[in-house]
Amino acid sequence: MGFNLDFALSTIPTIMEALGTTLLATVLSCLGASALGFTLEMIRRGGGAPGLAVRFLIDFIRSTPVLAWLYFLYFVMPFYGIRLGAMTVGILGLSLYYSGYLAEVFKAGIDAIPKGQQEAARALSLNRRDTVVFVIAPQMLRNVAAPLGNYLVSILKATPYLAILAVPEMLGRAFDIASETYRYAEPLTVAGILFLGLALIVAYGVKRVEQRLLAAGRR
Amino acid sequence: MLAQAPHPLSADQSMPHVRIHGLNKWFGAVHVLKDIDLTIRAGARIVVCGPSGSGKSTLIRCINGLEAFQKGKIEYEATSLGKNTRETAKARRQTGMVFQGFNLFPHLTVLANCTLALRRVLLKPAREAEEIAMRHLTAVRIPEKAKAYPAQLSGGQQQRVAIARALCLNPRVMLFDEPTSALDPEMIKEVLDVMIALARTGVTMVCVTHEMGFAREVADEIVFMDEGRIVEQASSKGFFSGTAHPRARLFLDTVLRH
Ligand SMILES: Nc1ncnc2c1ncn2[C@@H]1O[C@H](COP(=O)(O)OP(=O)(O)O)[C@@H](O)[C@H]1O
Ligand SMILES: [Mg+2]
Repeated sequence: MGFNLDFALSTIPTIMEALGTTLLATVLSCLGASALGFTLEMIRRGGGAPGLAVRFLIDFIRSTPVLAWLYFLYFVMPFYGIRLGAMTVGILGLSLYYSGYLAEVFKAGIDAIPKGQQEAARALSLNRRDTVVFVIAPQMLRNVAAPLGNYLVSILKATPYLAILAVPEMLGRAFDIASETYRYAEPLTVAGILFLGLALIVAYGVKRVEQRLLAAGRR
Repeated sequence: MLAQAPHPLSADQSMPHVRIHGLNKWFGAVHVLKDIDLTIRAGARIVVCGPSGSGKSTLIRCINGLEAFQKGKIEYEATSLGKNTRETAKARRQTGMVFQGFNLFPHLTVLANCTLALRRVLLKPAREAEEIAMRHLTAVRIPEKAKAYPAQLSGGQQQRVAIARALCLNPRVMLFDEPTSALDPEMIKEVLDVMIALARTGVTMVCVTHEMGFAREVADEIVFMDEGRIVEQASSKGFFSGTAHPRARLFLDTVLRH
């Protein structure tokens, strides 16, 4: 039984139906992981007891497999009375897991900003929030564009993990077809190619943004 | 008849803006400021000089609250700068700071560098903030670069923008920490010219610098520091006419020889 191109092509529409789910999970997880990662880094930077707790939390997150988070949220949380939908759990799990890595990325991006910038902000009487929003965050984003982009691609590539929660994303849909037809090569190849295409598009977009930011830096 | 409050502009010129009493600061075990007493009167133009590592920057940074100190007092007119952060904030609002390395915000245009604090701290509407900023950019002779980014400017131009940015908040005292030390020689003059013009407007300023020509021209008081102490404090005339402390004399000889 060789690779049947016609069959492969016929699976494209079905798998593509799951494209929306994959994209939605990717985008929301990226936003969630970025927001959470930045918040964690801000708390860690603040020091004190909360800073110490967050430092521990980040290390903990980074030393736990993403599957463990997904299983924990999906199967263990209901035990404590918290019952969430599969998609919600998936996005939450990916956000949590990648927030630990993004906190590190943001840390490096902030450390690279010269100390004089914060001092100038303080000398101008800007409060802490305004200093973060108007002085630190924009410069940090410029510094982290490349590693941040890489993690966004990683999040896209991590969405198939949601298949274990029966979230109908692309790889899960490909497996559905495979188990119905007993043909694995075609649907999985199609899903692989679609992921590759998506990853290339995201990587290209990231590169463009990065170049624009760098150009802005040289202005 | 009710007593009238004096008009702020007619304030007694001898009234001190800042009074520093017995200021001591340590970095860990290193004693970097020792029993500093200094009074900055309204309209004063004080030049602080001394060898590298003598504590000049630290003193300036204590005055605007960028550094904490362990002993002594800094009084801003009525408010005292101490541990209370609200008082510190109030005191800082009365000072403008110009750094050796300019410290402009690279992601913001020249105009946005100047309007940021006007908008976020003084809560001025955009239009008014831009008018104020343009007025100060004109005063430092660089209004045509308002839309440029810092990286597009020369060092001298960046430092003039930094002066304008500090002036925007209308500080009572302008603090300069070696404003020309990071500049190529050909750009020093344009910055000093702006500072001389600023001094003529009667702004109170404390300036750490080794530009003795500038000191001679604008300073009414010279403070010489060595190893964390004020070793010599004299009128500009007295300082340059040879009555200075031997260590100050030696220092002067070395900087003037360059
Ligand atoms: N952040 C700091 N931590 C530790 N020591 C410092 C710090 N800043 C300055 N110092 C020390 O304090 C002394 C005074 O420094 P500074 O005020 O920068 O001198 P100046 O401006 O006159 O060259 C120096 O011995 C310097 O090494
Ligand atoms: Mg210094």
